[in-house]
Amino acid sequence: MTSLKRSYASTSPSTTLSSKTYLRTLKSGKVQKIVREVYLRQDIPCSSQLCTACLDLAPVGFHKKADPPVLSATPAATEQLPQGHYIVPDTNAFLSAMDLFESEGVLQDAIVLQTVLEEVKNRSLPLYHRLIALTKNEGKRFYVFFNDFRLETYVRRDAGETINDRNDRAVRKACGWYAQHLEKAVRARKSARCPVVIMLSDDRENVRKGKEDGLPAMNLRDYVAGLPDANRLMDMVATSREGRAARDAKAQMIYPEYVSMSAMLTGVKAGTLHQGVFNVSPYNYLEGSVQVPAFDRSLIVQGRDNSNRAVSGDLVVIEVLPKDQWKAPSSKAIDEEDVNKNETAENEEDEREAIVTEQERRALQEEVRKTHGKGAEGRAQPTAKVVGIIKRNWRQYVGHIDRDSVRSRNKESRAQQTVFLIPMDKRVPKIRVRTRQAAELVGKRVLVSIDSWDRDSRYPVGHFIRSLGELETKGAETEALLLEWDVQYRPFPRTVLDCLPAEGHEWKVPASTDDPGWKGRRDLRDLLVCSIDPPGCVDIDDALHAKQLPNGNFEVGVHIADVSHFVKPNNAMDKEASLRGTTVYLVDKRIDMLPMLLGTDLCSLKPYVERYAFSAIWELDQNADIVRKDFTKSVIRSREAFSYEQAQLRIDDKSQKDELTVGMRCLMMLSKKLRAKRMAAGALNLASPEVRVETESETSDPIDVKTKMALDTNQLVEEFMLLANISVAGKIYEAFPQTALLRRHPAPPKNNFEELSNQLKVKKGMELRTDSSKALADSLDTCVDPSEPFFNTLVRIVATRCMMSAEYFTSGTQSVPEFRHYGLASEIYTHFTSPIRRYADLEAHRQLAAAIEYETLDASLQSKAKLEGVCKNINVRHRNAQMAGRTSVEYYVGQALKGRILEEDGFVMRIFSNGFVVFVPRFGIEGLIRLRDMDGGEGEREPESVFDAENYALQIEWEQGQRKVELFQKVKVRISDEAEESTGKRKIRLQLV
Amino acid sequence: MPSEPAPSTNEREFILAALRENTRLDGRALDAYRPISLTFGNDYGTADVRLGKTRVLAKISCEVATPYPDRKFDGIFTITTELSPLASPAFEVGRQDTPELLLSRLLEKTIRRSGALDTESLCLVAGQKCFHLRATLHVLDADGNLVDASCLALIAALLHFRRPDIEVHGEDVTVFDPREREPVCLTIQHRPFCVSFSYYHAGEVMVQDATLLEEQCREGEVVVSMNRFGEVAQVAKYGGPPVDGLSVLGCMSAALERVKGFDKMVTEKLKEDEKRRDAGGLMAELSAENERPVEGGDRVML
Amino acid sequence: MPLDSSSYSLAQFSTQAAADGSSYLEMGQTKIICTVNGPQESKRGGGSRDQSNAARIETDISIAGFSGVDRKRHGRGDKRTQEMQHTVSSAFSSTLFTHLFPHSTIAIAIHVLSQDGSLLAACLNAATLALVDAGVPMSDYVVACTTGSTASYASNDEEADPLLDLNGLEEQELPFLTVGTSGGEDKVNVLIMETRVQMGRLEAMISVGLDGCKQIRGILDDIVREHGKKALNSRVN
Repeated sequence: MTSLKRSYASTSPSTTLSSKTYLRTLKSGKVQKIVREVYLRQDIPCSSQLCTACLDLAPVGFHKKADPPVLSATPAATEQLPQGHYIVPDTNAFLSAMDLFESEGVLQDAIVLQTVLEEVKNRSLPLYHRLIALTKNEGKRFYVFFNDFRLETYVRRDAGETINDRNDRAVRKACGWYAQHLEKAVRARKSARCPVVIMLSDDRENVRKGKEDGLPAMNLRDYVAGLPDANRLMDMVATSREGRAARDAKAQMIYPEYVSMSAMLTGVKAGTLHQGVFNVSPYNYLEGSVQVPAFDRSLIVQGRDNSNRAVSGDLVVIEVLPKDQWKAPSSKAIDEEDVNKNETAENEEDEREAIVTEQERRALQEEVRKTHGKGAEGRAQPTAKVVGIIKRNWRQYVGHIDRDSVRSRNKESRAQQTVFLIPMDKRVPKIRVRTRQAAELVGKRVLVSIDSWDRDSRYPVGHFIRSLGELETKGAETEALLLEWDVQYRPFPRTVLDCLPAEGHEWKVPASTDDPGWKGRRDLRDLLVCSIDPPGCVDIDDALHAKQLPNGNFEVGVHIADVSHFVKPNNAMDKEASLRGTTVYLVDKRIDMLPMLLGTDLCSLKPYVERYAFSAIWELDQNADIVRKDFTKSVIRSREAFSYEQAQLRIDDKSQKDELTVGMRCLMMLSKKLRAKRMAAGALNLASPEVRVETESETSDPIDVKTKMALDTNQLVEEFMLLANISVAGKIYEAFPQTALLRRHPAPPKNNFEELSNQLKVKKGMELRTDSSKALADSLDTCVDPSEPFFNTLVRIVATRCMMSAEYFTSGTQSVPEFRHYGLASEIYTHFTSPIRRYADLEAHRQLAAAIEYETLDASLQSKAKLEGVCKNINVRHRNAQMAGRTSVEYYVGQALKGRILEEDGFVMRIFSNGFVVFVPRFGIEGLIRLRDMDGGEGEREPESVFDAENYALQIEWEQGQRKVELFQKVKVRISDEAEESTGKRKIRLQLV
Repeated sequence: MPSEPAPSTNEREFILAALRENTRLDGRALDAYRPISLTFGNDYGTADVRLGKTRVLAKISCEVATPYPDRKFDGIFTITTELSPLASPAFEVGRQDTPELLLSRLLEKTIRRSGALDTESLCLVAGQKCFHLRATLHVLDADGNLVDASCLALIAALLHFRRPDIEVHGEDVTVFDPREREPVCLTIQHRPFCVSFSYYHAGEVMVQDATLLEEQCREGEVVVSMNRFGEVAQVAKYGGPPVDGLSVLGCMSAALERVKGFDKMVTEKLKEDEKRRDAGGLMAELSAENERPVEGGDRVML
Repeated sequence: MPLDSSSYSLAQFSTQAAADGSSYLEMGQTKIICTVNGPQESKRGGGSRDQSNAARIETDISIAGFSGVDRKRHGRGDKRTQEMQHTVSSAFSSTLFTHLFPHSTIAIAIHVLSQDGSLLAACLNAATLALVDAGVPMSDYVVACTTGSTASYASNDEEADPLLDLNGLEEQELPFLTVGTSGGEDKVNVLIMETRVQMGRLEAMISVGLDGCKQIRGILDDIVREHGKKALNSRVN
């Protein structure tokens, strides 16, 4: 332990003590008096290599190492300043032109004053971090001079002086001191060249006062003009003119107050106000829309002040704005992270902040100009503002901490900081979070919840719940997406155990047919039943059989796992299943609706064992028309569990002549006929961009991405499932006209297709007819571009997005024509065939069992209100499950692309005035290419462009010359993944080639 | 005021003389602990630690409360220590004396101040609702080294504890009954353990895990808390005869070794307990998140 | 970093005439008044006599409501304060010749007027001065100071210098410890650390702390001698 024996070398610098006292008012109205002591000293070096006196002063570290002086002895000279110069920029010089200071090779040898550094820190943390990085960059030679601690340069705030004025004075004083100090040093060295110390400021007043004091002061523009590379550098100063104005005019806006609940309700009743769910556009965080019954188009809510603290998903009350403020939906993609990236989270102790930032105002303004220019009255949509909120739909949000908003990265620090959390969901605003663990949370996926959003805070305030783990790790990302889509992935509660059969995995269909379990069941063990599923499927819901009857007709049976035998209504397991609503499939995981014992064993129609089933048996004639149908509880024994591929091979293999194969061939033949009939009736053949991720079997790391293939056997199974669902729907509706649980797919409102059909007309001269599903199906078939086979699929993908989503409902809540399933072109429909993984099917089973008088119907299934609640929940769960699955695929696709750079074909799906969206079918990914990213990624400048909204085209002039980007155009894009600087998060990036 | 009878002069002299020769009354090495046993109760959050004759029981409970107005974003975590006459005639009911004060302060510093328990995650709705987590320590038998035993029990209990699951929707919070939803573990950021050193002969002899008798004869003590990564949560030497700076540093490295042992033991015991609870392997049946064959794909749903 | 003698220029003796000994100490913005009464006969318990054969040291610390940034009442039962009281008492138990005063009490009362870091250290230093003033025989001063470490574990810059004598702001940000010495160089009497820190950094922190104590010791010693001289002169004249 040598250091303990360290001898104590006394250096006794002369210092003076001063103290700083100031008052501050907290938001709560409390006044605090802060007393800080300031030690003024004379041993803070100037750090110029010219100065020998300061060399001895340089602080000696614990290990006897002194930092070498930073500022060069021979700083750069310019025309105006032949003897060389050091620069002393003031605060707004840094705030407005940080890019300029960051450019390599120029603006070296700068003295960053402590006063300035602190002011920058208070104004913008991200800029502060950039400035700190600059001071660490050895080539730039930026030296931080602690002028507020040096005796000669310390400035006391005069009575009545504003803090800004004091700081400006401090800057001037430091400049003066440096000039004198250097002069002395140079004289001591007897060297001729004494560098000038130039104060750089964008503030006219400060420059004037500086000159008055006899200081060489310049504004940025004049200074840059004297530099060798002036033209290039001047661009970076261009936007910095407003400097001072913005600082003084600190807007004191707050959000408008909400209208009282009673006023809202009367307003809604009277029709002056409207109520609806607030949805934010995924491309533009400043634009939301609300669908209300009174208008056939959704109302647009634009800007932060109009959306008035509503968060996507909230149930809001809105007031329509006067007609002269109506506009077309935004033609721009705006990302919150880009617009307000220089903000500081920690300013609640400050004065009130402006609700709408200058940048945001500008982002929207431009748009107004553009739409006006185009004379787009025809496309104008009603706009509205939020006046109140009926119900918040806040949940827990997953996101990451904005690294730039973290003030202190010191892990030991126990001080509370306010940081921004950027939610994964782009439609949700940044959340201000107060935490003591900021430093540890950087680079992690974290879960937060919103607590409140007060009128005087630009962003909602929330609190940290827990960390999910490092960004981009599989565990954290999986949990994140499950939380984002509200998928209940925790283990089943223990009470569920009591609802499982006591025998566990040993449970068997009773051998004796006198057993109560056999009551009312038909013995179908002799039938040659088989199941066809995706490979590796363990939760087998359905099995099929077919055989030819002596009369030439066919007997076809669809056998569904008899889950309702095991899950009795209203017990703990049933409640849990009804909450979960569905099994969720991720790329490598399955979040079960029912415990594994049932889902993958006792209910699952595994081959070679006897299982309880619920069978639908039809007699079909040669045309696949139904002659007779019958539903019964049964016992079956599946002969084989095929994968789609195996089944296909077996059917195609002519040498196989056994009874099972023959039955399967019958099924195939009948399914084709059923399909043809369905298509003739106007069923839609839609497409969604689906890909499959191939992973390494052991580590399950993704290797490749393939598009999904459909075999005939897929369709075979699908047809019979549809047949079963439709038959069952009819049966339960007949038995329970008020309470049957059905599924409908509403016809899309006409104007949903307006955009697409207009696009097709303008770009391709094609016509999309949407008067009925049949017309739509037929016209979709004609949308073919012979030169581009994928075009048809593309149109189908877009068309699918224009559709309404299908939903569960109880028959009593809709009139009979509304029962229709638009996509399937069926008059009535329900879900019956997957009770292991969908709760709706389980309910349908119970209703069917009651309809065939197998058992009595539970009271919960007779109550319309209860069923409506169930429907509402499972509708949400289904949507979430789909989204979760999709997000999981996206994540894996991202992982598969990690570190690779690929060029692929893509199609332009959407055009904005400042960018366009490209869809890459090979990977099923969709990405925004912004104009300003096209310029090599450097700087913030956008290439010149002309946006033609009527022709869906964007004319761009960039380095490689002119380029026109049009809707539906096939383009080559370079796909790469890059880590975002501020978050360390990887993101797929598309670039036009 | 009842108090533990002080050892007789003869006894004291004997112990000190023996220690000078690096010998302890019970034959242990200076840096050896008495046999430690750690058992968990049937309820979550109960840990029973025996260290020789010393026995400490820690129990965690939790309820919904209103957060402190100056700590809107934090839950509440309180540690209560109960030194009852049950453990030693020196302890009195309802009166807080120095040993109890120091014990609770040491635990407070070791576990609360060092951020072992993430109190921010106990916040439900900022400023309105949060979990109040109470840790109660019952000293059942005191035969020296209460601090180490208590800290071990407390950390083990915290790791063992499960709090009810919650769901936040809009501005409403639902707290689920443990039967309704599997309760969840607390967020423990790190596991610090206390190691106390008693010193004799002006710090020349450092003894770990002193018995009551040895404690009565000591000159002073140094209490070090750290986790197995060598992060020191707390050091306390409250006065007493001065010792050499080097011996204090020596305590640090000795404590690290000891803490690694504690950490391993707690991990193992927790695993054992989990296995015990999962009699018959039924827990596996309750898992909802299950592996899925990679090839699989669900059918298109219409 | 060398200590600043100026910050101790405000250390005064015998500020409270009523007490047997008293002192006023400023360490930066931390300001403390300390009074000592005793040794005197124990008064506690009424009938039952104090059996002990050495003086008891009783410390009472009261923190003024206006001492911090936020006005806050500090209850006497506050465990943190009680712990500090215990620390002060036991720190002096080994330096004061308590065996000279059986059945008696030495009462140290500390009033914190303003706090801005290094509170415990300031209490110990002020108590030393007041005890000297009271004329309680002692083998050595107890002097204390704080050290903080600026090195962060993540950046692994073990080179960074530990800081000496932290103020309130620094205590918020940095891991720090209070070290008190008596009875010779490198002898640690009090060592209290309450913030999480990597083990490897303690060595440097303690060694710098001991250095700091040595400096403070010098400062206190000067003050005591100065005061002594004055007292002697006033006798002579």
